[in-house]
Amino acid sequence: MSNEVWVVADLKIDGSVRQVTFEALSEARKKIAGKLGGELCGVLIGSGVSGHAAELGKYGAEKVYVVDNELLKDFNTEGYTIALSELIKKHSPAVVIAGNTVFGQDYFPAVAARVGAGVTMDAIEIDLTNDKKLKIKRFSHSSKAIPTQVFLDHHPMMTTVRPNSFKAVEDPKTPEVVDGAVTINSGDIKSKVIEIKTKGSDRPELTEAERVVSGGRGLGSEENFKYIYQLADMLGAAAGATRAAVDAGYCPYDMQVGQTGKAVSPNLYIAIAISGSVQHFAGMGSSKVIVAINKDPEAPIFQKCDYGIVGDLFDVLPPFTEKVRALVSQS
Amino acid sequence: MKILVIVSQTQDTEAKIKVSAAGNSIDTEGMKWIMNPYDEFAVEEAIQTKEKHGGEVVVVSMGPARVVETIRQALAMGADSALHILDEGSPDMDSFAMGKIIAGEIRKLGGFDIVFTGMKIIDEESGQVGVQIAEELGIPHVSLVSKVIEINPSANKAVCQKEIDGGHMVVEVPLPCLITCPDAMNEPRYASLPGIMKAKKKPLTEVKVSDTNLDGLARVKTVEIKVPQIERKLRIIKGQDGPMVKGAEVEKSAEELIKLLREEAKVI
Ligand SMILES: Cc1cc2nc3c(=O)[nH]c(=O)nc-3n(C[C@H](O)[C@H](O)[C@H](O)COP(=O)(O)OP(=O)(O)OC[C@H]3O[C@@H](n4cnc5c(N)ncnc54)[C@H](O)[C@@H]3O)c2cc1C
Repeated sequence: MSNEVWVVADLKIDGSVRQVTFEALSEARKKIAGKLGGELCGVLIGSGVSGHAAELGKYGAEKVYVVDNELLKDFNTEGYTIALSELIKKHSPAVVIAGNTVFGQDYFPAVAARVGAGVTMDAIEIDLTNDKKLKIKRFSHSSKAIPTQVFLDHHPMMTTVRPNSFKAVEDPKTPEVVDGAVTINSGDIKSKVIEIKTKGSDRPELTEAERVVSGGRGLGSEENFKYIYQLADMLGAAAGATRAAVDAGYCPYDMQVGQTGKAVSPNLYIAIAISGSVQHFAGMGSSKVIVAINKDPEAPIFQKCDYGIVGDLFDVLPPFTEKVRALVSQS
Repeated sequence: MKILVIVSQTQDTEAKIKVSAAGNSIDTEGMKWIMNPYDEFAVEEAIQTKEKHGGEVVVVSMGPARVVETIRQALAMGADSALHILDEGSPDMDSFAMGKIIAGEIRKLGGFDIVFTGMKIIDEESGQVGVQIAEELGIPHVSLVSKVIEINPSANKAVCQKEIDGGHMVVEVPLPCLITCPDAMNEPRYASLPGIMKAKKKPLTEVKVSDTNLDGLARVKTVEIKVPQIERKLRIIKGQDGPMVKGAEVEKSAEELIKLLREEAKVI
């Protein structure tokens, strides 16, 4: 077994590196690689991805393994699982980390099972015990509890980490690039991605944003969600929603915040016409400041927010947004 | 088709969480137990698949004696038979060990075409067990499926939609496969009264975990659990006559909120 600490880059559909990769590199350097006395390494899996090695180096990667294969052009579970498992078997790292994204959640547990490793998901803290075991903290029980988990004597020790939990801090290195070629036969990839549809957005991603403005069922229509987008854009915030709003077709699924949807932890979370269900709070309850606008004084959210207005959103939001606009144009 | 659905039992979503005296587990004394909410969607999807293509739905569940109640609920919804993997709460159990044991029992059952399970259990919240089971069984999986577009037993395939950042993905996967279910992919039915009566007579097989080998299976240990305490300020601006701000109060409340966010919270 080597002492290497690996961070697997999480790539967006457009091929760029997701921020959580840099956060994980920075935190792994600070909390794990030093104590373990091993190299911090990046892992790139995809097709035509070696160009990203320098970006990983910027956040401290001393070495970057590149698995470059035509069959890995778009994310597919089996291709990624084969690529990372084979790489792990060959180089035997001590710790392997990835982002807890839609893709990370999909293939990381499969890799762990394939190589017989332990894996924890969605860590919000990572550390190393004195006897060099990975130790993590995460949310459980609808985010009402935070367990600390320590790895037993198996290798590698694998975890995904929650986006926006750590600071990305630059520590420029010129990484050694290692060709991690693994053999993948097209017959190994049994599940086929037959369609990918994405539409770009100029707003920040929910899991990466410092501010989030979310709307609930009370918005009443897709058309009315413009109030959410206007305020979000004014604040440079991401736009979110509850399941009830998504279900009603007011906005797309990738805006859903909560137990099923995205977990966010911004400095400012503004909840508009949202009742404050346990499932919604499971995804945003750790936000630093929570603001609620709701017309029902009995709404549960008023028991667990910092600031609030009891009022009709259609009365309150236009002047509020206008004042934010005035403020923004001043500064 | 032989359709499997893996369900688990968990504490009620609204339950107040208390840490046990030992400090590394949750005190479940007096708690209400429910079927893991995500598994309800899995059971519904399994039953709809049977209704469309014929065959049988087999429920698989691991846990102590109390989980029989959850198994009966799935049977009452329309599943046909069940396998209960009895585990009286082994202290060395973790997600990895659980996945191994469940996969081992499913392998013994054999002959299945498709497996459904919830995307995660709302107590542990790791979401790794379903995917791990697929891997152990050597079958492909599609996780977080928002819509099963088609299951086609004669062409031996399933087509599923999965939501990704900024859009969606459609995946075609050969059978047998495993699908993990988020909420909102369907509307779980309630068990009817005749359903509940019939469930009592449906076959339920029990196997004990001690029969399988747990030694050295666990990969992680929970050493401590804390309940996060976030103090919220609860500064709520209300109307003078009636709870809602009205008329001139609206403008003033907006102004006051901006001031609080700027000067007190310093977030804008
Ligand atoms: C397994 C499972 C998983 C789930 N996962 C999630 C999840 O990930 N995310 C999630 O959000 N939910 C999730 N839910 C659903 C959750 O239980 C709630 O149903 C949902 O969060 C409610 O959304 P809401 O607050 O928008 O709607 P409601 O509870 O209907 O609340 C609407 C609010 O709007 C207010 N309102 C109405 N009109 C106005 C107005 N004009 N001005 C001001 N206020 C107004 C009302 O007073 C009310 O408080 C899940 C449920 C289950 C069972």
